[in-house]
Formats: sequence, C-alpha cells, structure tokens
Amino acid sequence: MNTLGRILLVEDDPKDVELTLTALEEYNLANEVIVARDGEEALEYLYSRGKFKTRSSGNPAVVLLDLKLPKVDGLEVLKQVKSEEKLRMIPIVVLTSSNEEKDMVASYKLGVSAYVVKPVDFHEFVNAIKELGIFWAVINEPPPGSVRK
Amino acid sequence: MARSKLQLRIAQSPVLSYGLAVLSVSVALGGALLIERLQLRNITLFLFAIAVAAWYGGSGAAVLALLLSCIGLAYFLVEPSHSIPYFVLFALFAWLVSWFSSVRRRVEAELETEISERSSLLNLTHDTIFVRDMSDSIRYWNRGAEELYGWTPEQAIGKGSRELLRTVLPLPLDDIQAEFLRTGRWEGELKHTKADGTQVIVASRWSLRRDEREQPIAVLETNNDITVRKRWEQEIQSLNQELAKRSTELEAINKELEAFAYSVSHDLRAPLRHMASYTELLRKKASSTLDEKCSHYIQMTLDSANRMGKLIDDLLAFSRIGRTETQKTLFSLTQLVREAVTEVRDDAEGRNIAWEIGALPDFYGDRSMLRLVLVNLISNAIKFTRTRPQAEIEIGCAEGNSDDLVVFVRDNGVGFDMRYVNKLFGVFQRLHQADVFEGTGIGLATVQRIIHRHGGKVWAEGVVDSGATFYFSAPKT
Repeated sequence: MNTLGRILLVEDDPKDVELTLTALEEYNLANEVIVARDGEEALEYLYSRGKFKTRSSGNPAVVLLDLKLPKVDGLEVLKQVKSEEKLRMIPIVVLTSSNEEKDMVASYKLGVSAYVVKPVDFHEFVNAIKELGIFWAVINEPPPGSVRK
Repeated sequence: MARSKLQLRIAQSPVLSYGLAVLSVSVALGGALLIERLQLRNITLFLFAIAVAAWYGGSGAAVLALLLSCIGLAYFLVEPSHSIPYFVLFALFAWLVSWFSSVRRRVEAELETEISERSSLLNLTHDTIFVRDMSDSIRYWNRGAEELYGWTPEQAIGKGSRELLRTVLPLPLDDIQAEFLRTGRWEGELKHTKADGTQVIVASRWSLRRDEREQPIAVLETNNDITVRKRWEQEIQSLNQELAKRSTELEAINKELEAFAYSVSHDLRAPLRHMASYTELLRKKASSTLDEKCSHYIQMTLDSANRMGKLIDDLLAFSRIGRTETQKTLFSLTQLVREAVTEVRDDAEGRNIAWEIGALPDFYGDRSMLRLVLVNLISNAIKFTRTRPQAEIEIGCAEGNSDDLVVFVRDNGVGFDMRYVNKLFGVFQRLHQADVFEGTGIGLATVQRIIHRHGGKVWAEGVVDSGATFYFSAPKT
C-alpha cells in the first residue's frame, strides 16, 4: 500500500464527524484526518492562520467538504480555494446530504473533483467513505506540496 | 340653400354687390319718374292688391286680381279710353310678381327635398348623430340618436344636449371647448344617460360648422355606443391584473416550495442517516449479546429508516418535476421504451415475461421526463404481474383523436378495483398492502404530473385479478 495522504474533513455536525471517522477507522484511514467544524476553520487550516497558524506545512491530499456549514458555507470555501494559486490544485470532494441538482451544478462549476451524496444506509455510507478515503488518500497521486506519511 | 348660395355669391363679389346697389336705385328712380309722369299714386293700392294675390295665390289669383283691378279702375276711377296703359302696367306687374313667387316656391321645394334627403341619409346610419348650436341647444336628431338615447326628435330638439344627456366629460368643458374651437374637431369618450336612466359610454366625434364669416354656428356630434366594448376591456384588464397577481403569488409559492424541498433534502436526511448509522453500529457492537427479538427490533428500525429515505428521495424527485422547465424535443418513443425496459431489467430478473411492444410514433416532449413515465409504468407492470407464472406486458399506441397521441401499458397482473381508480394517481395513495407489493405511492403521481405538464391526460382501466391498462395522452405537437 502507498503512503497515506492527509484528509481535511469539513463538517459541522458532530454525529457526521463521528460516523465518518468511524467509517475511516474501520479501514485504518483515520490517523491523518483533520476536522474543521465550519467554513472559516477550513480556510484557517488551508491558509495556516488562526488556530492552525503553527500547523505543519503542506496541503491535504483531499478535502471532504460539506456544503451546509455555519459562518462560511461550503460553496464559498470552494470558491476561495479555487481562486487561490497555492490551493487550487487540492482535490476537493463534496460530501453532502443534498442531492439537489443546483448544488451539484454549482459545485462542478467551481471545479470539485467529485460530488458524493451521503447514503442513508450505514453500510452504503461506510462503503462510500471507505472508497473515498482509499482512492483520495492512498491511490490517487496528489499534486505536489501535499502531506504524505 | 339656393338662395343663400346666391346671396353668398353676391356678397363675396364686389362687382356684383355694387352693381346690385346701382341697379336697384336706378330702377327705383325710373319707377318714381314713371309714377310722377302718369300720376300713378292713386293706383298703388291696386298694385299692392295684385302683388299680394300673385305672391301668395300664384298665377291664377294674379290673373283674377288683374281683371278685377282693370274693371274697377275703368268703372270707377279712370276714363276707359285712358285706362289702357294702366292695364299694361298691371299685367306687367302681375306677371313679374307671379314669376318671382314661382321661383321662390321652386327654390323652397328644392330646399325641402334636399333637407329631407339629407336627413333620411343621416337616418340610415347606425351612428348616433345630432347637431347642436353654440348655446348647446339640439337642432337636429337622427334616428340613431333616437334609438340609442330613447328620445324622439320632437322631444330632443330645442333641449340643451348636455342637460338632456347628463353628459360626463373626460376633461373640464372649457379645456375641450378651447381645443375644439381652435381645431374644429374633438374626439373622446363621454358618458351619457339615456331616457330610461341607464348609462352608456360613447366614442364621440365633434365637428364644428362655421358660417361665411368664419363664426362658429353649429356642432355636429357623432357618437358610437362602446359600453359593451368598454365593459369587456375592463373585464380583460381586471382579469389580467388578477392573473399577474396570481402568477406573482405562484412564483412566491414556488420559491417557498423550492426552499422547503431543499430543507427536506438536506435537513431531514441527515438525522435519518444518523439514526440508521448509529443503529447499525449498535447492532455491530452488541451482535453477540442480542437475542433474536432484539435483532428483529433493530432490523425493523433500519428498515423504517431506509424506507423513509426512499420516500424522501421519491418526494423530492416528484417536487423537482413541478419545478424544472420541460425541455421539449421530438424523439423516438420506440427507442425510449427500449431504454426504459433495459433500465428495469433488474426487476424482471428470473421472471418469465412475454413482452409485446407495438409500433410507436415519434413523441414531442421532454425526453428524460417521458423516460421516467415509461420506467414507472413498466416497473409497475413487472411488479404487479409477479404472481403470474407467465407475465404478459404490452406497450402500444391506442386510437386517440387526431390531435392527441395515446400510449398504453397493459399487463395481466393482479389488476385493481375500478371503484378506487381515482386514488391511483394521488401522492402516497396505494391500493395494495405494503408487505404484498412494496412501493412509496409516488410513482403514478409522478407519471400524472409529468403528463399534465405536457398538456396530456392519464387514466387507467383494471379488473381485479385480470390485469390493468394505464394510458397517457399528449398533444402530437
């Protein structure tokens, strides 16, 4: 197996955080997960500022981004990341409850790498998270400047 | 009119008018000299008598008056031998007066014919026409006016028009009058009150008549009854306003609905997913310690969560159909049926189904929506023939009227009771128990909504235990 890339999980709902981490743990993918609880925190992490001022350098291999977030919402985070030269290459996967077409269209227009609707069924959810984790953190060759273990 | 034309001609030409003055005085002077010479003073009464008889009585009366005058003169006043010149003078005078009189009569008769001809012409028109003088007194009143307002010419002529008709003007009278006198024309809408008290709206046109000195003398007013037209116009206007209001309301409702659907999509699914996920985790952790009953309870909780997830998804898809624009193209229905059958192949796995797909025409509509219609109807047909050892599903085109296309999907499945046919297409309406035939009760509601959006209809025929046929129609273009 390849080295494990760092995952930035942007998710405000603690239950979703717990469930996602549980799913990743099952496949030993949870070690390198950083959790941001709203859009502002996500941007602070990516720009290494605020409470992430002293974090180790390097971009995450993938960002798992919820759309409905407090303060700065997911689409806004996406917009800022994609217009920033240092950050625009980071693969971003939208992971959301919404299967609304307009969200999907808006996300793809802003350049997301994938759009995943969280399945209601836990098995399907675990599978989806596992596959996302394995693909983006392990199989996919991330852009230069990403953190790998 | 002939006389006034003559007068007008004389008045307008200086040569004629001065000539007339010179001529008349010359004639008077000649006459005075003649009277002086012949000592005619005592005969002027006879001349007067002859003139009266000739003017009012015509030529017969003139001849009689002439004879009587001659006899009277010769018998009582003048020697018969001297009376010849008087006779000649009398005869000449009588002839002259009769001639004038006949000319006057002819002219008057002509005038009368002309006036009555004009009036009858004005009476032919359907328009309401009357003439009023500058003090607003009605001078002429045609049959159209009588028919519209209900007053006869005798009742109307001489009355003030605004007072009689209780005219409501669109602008102050002074403003209208000023423009009218300047341009000689005015057009506008007036309200009049008829003899029976009801109000009419008329399109009114005024034209000003002036005399030879350019002084205004009369107004010709032509009115058309536009009450009905106005009422329709007002009705249309108020309907349009109502429509605009409704469509604004509808837009607002649609927006609300969209926000609602979004909220359902996002906020309702999240807790559901959490419930399902934690229950699943619980089962996993405690599987060794749970007895059969507890496992069953957990399974039921998970089943319900999954069913609710499916319901939310279907309901969202259903609401989305109402919100998205239809994108219509012409496409092959045969091809689309084939695609739909392929899509539901999983449902048909391990089943013995005889497909009969008839010739289908091209269809003008939203292809992806129509695909949803066919998938729903075909998967229903597969579902409800499940109990048949040999299922038969027929898809074809039925006879419709010339403007509509009718497509049907027929099966030999469990059918339904026609008493409940009106429940078939309602949201969440089901005719079968959930554990016999699964489903959310949204499929046929979706079908109906899509077909309605295409301007068509859906209906169904069924017999319990003998199969069902679902039809939909849509305009050909």
